[in-house]
Amino acid sequence: MSKRLQTIVLEGVLLVLGVTTVFPFVWMLFSAFKPNSEIRSLDQTLLPRQWTLENFLGLQDTFDFVRFFANSLGVALAITAVTIYTSCLCGYVLAKYRFRGRNAIFGFILGTMMIPWAVTIIPRYTMFEAWGLRDSYLSLILPAVLSGFGIFMLRQSMADVPDAILEAARIDGASEIYIFHRIVLPMSRNPISALTIFQFLWAWEDYLWPYLMIDSEDKQVLAVGLTTFSGRYGTDYGGLFAATTISVLPVLIVYLIFQKRFIAGAAAAAVKG
Amino acid sequence: MTAPLTTTPARPAAAPRGRRRRAYKGERTLRNSVVALIIAFNAVLLVYPIASAFSGSFHQWNPLNGTYRWIGGDNYAELLHDPTFWTSLTNTLYFSVVVIAARVVLGLALAYAIWSQVTRHKTFFRAVFYMPTVTPMVAIAYVWKMMYNPQIGIFHTFLGIDINWLYDSTWALPAIMFMTIWKDFGYAVILFLSALHSLPEDTLEAAAVDGAGSWQRLRHIILPLLHPMTIFVVITSLISYAQAYVQILIMTQGGPGKSTFLISYIIFDEAFQQYDFGYASAIAFVLLIITAALTAVSFGVSARRSGGRA
Repeated sequence: MSKRLQTIVLEGVLLVLGVTTVFPFVWMLFSAFKPNSEIRSLDQTLLPRQWTLENFLGLQDTFDFVRFFANSLGVALAITAVTIYTSCLCGYVLAKYRFRGRNAIFGFILGTMMIPWAVTIIPRYTMFEAWGLRDSYLSLILPAVLSGFGIFMLRQSMADVPDAILEAARIDGASEIYIFHRIVLPMSRNPISALTIFQFLWAWEDYLWPYLMIDSEDKQVLAVGLTTFSGRYGTDYGGLFAATTISVLPVLIVYLIFQKRFIAGAAAAAVKG
Repeated sequence: MTAPLTTTPARPAAAPRGRRRRAYKGERTLRNSVVALIIAFNAVLLVYPIASAFSGSFHQWNPLNGTYRWIGGDNYAELLHDPTFWTSLTNTLYFSVVVIAARVVLGLALAYAIWSQVTRHKTFFRAVFYMPTVTPMVAIAYVWKMMYNPQIGIFHTFLGIDINWLYDSTWALPAIMFMTIWKDFGYAVILFLSALHSLPEDTLEAAAVDGAGSWQRLRHIILPLLHPMTIFVVITSLISYAQAYVQILIMTQGGPGKSTFLISYIIFDEAFQQYDFGYASAIAFVLLIITAALTAVSFGVSARRSGGRA
């Protein structure tokens, strides 16, 4: 088999796999525009025979879907912003300062990444309840103040910031805070974009913690809202398709816009060492 | 390429060790604040909870009626005789081994194919394969639940396969595993691709000059060099699959029968549906020990295979 033919065959195989990979998204998207009668009909087509917005409009009638969405967005953005900032700060100090105990702290942070959620969740639940934080957004944001993964990732990349630049800035009289904000942060754009997407996704899809902490329906987030939606309207497939489509879209759109920088940052965190 | 996850990256030789420069103004303040933040956060939200869960695992602990009574090792003893625990343990092992193997094999194969063959559309393939990984699990689990639905799902309507996937005890776990493989293999593709791109080109060229065929090159040079990345993927997967529960919660809730109980799901169930906090904590510690042991074994294998380098 000639090299050229081999490449064509291989690209064909990859294309088929690629189509298979995106098919669930495509099916979800098109199904969201089908009337329920068509979703259930025996004779199925991928494209809706009759396009309808009913599934999307109906969401708000039965359910404060917009509220869930806004809550998720607010909480996920707050968590992401806080985590990015603290990860950069801790990453910078752990990568660039030399002090006793530095390696011990970093080793400890690596270790925290291996603790399953199941070990800490019960005491956290009782603690937050005792502190009177139940049913507050603070209870969702507080556990995300530091991220072991984030610190690990940013430390790896900040080790590459040349010491000479930092020294030069210090000699010119720049303060540490100034150096961090004006020199180190702008140089870490790739890992920051990667961490932003990861952290946003994790905050957006987190189910258990908001399920445990948030009681009022008007404070609930979308991930939990989806499960109550499907519980109440179990047979409204059209609504469920519309709801899942909306809950997937923000993350996917952000990903597709930033994917180049994101993939570079995500990969670098793992290969480095 | 050195092994991932090493704690001390190589420093440039320019800064000689031992000769410490004076700390600049503000450096100490910033360092102290960061160290204080790390210690305070982890003490309150990690170390204390771990200690209190450990102590709780020796108690009968029910928040609903306020019971907190020392019962020694009874929770652990109960575990040994609990068929649900053993089912969930074997299910979790089966789930993890198959899903991790599929993730590594698919990830490696696709990354190698893209790296060695594809000249155009590289970015396109990377983006496509990675898409499911960056999508929220809760929503994805619903979409797949509908795909597996025997009336409206694609397996029935497009492929004509009439299996009630999620309600058949033979098929429910494999169906969830298949979905998980679909969702996660892209992560491995991206990581292996980046490892492939950082391979030393002169070594590969030298092998080609010496007449190594592409299969020999793959078998004897590329795969050994990718070994640290493989271990990284295996360990991170191990940690995350030991904790998988969302897909179970949404797609089957452990059923039919006990066929899809995974260990993290029974912890969730025991803790927040039965409110048996003590028992759930005991299972959580068993999970922690198993994950730690398997991680240590993977590191050990990696260290031996790469001559103690990792």
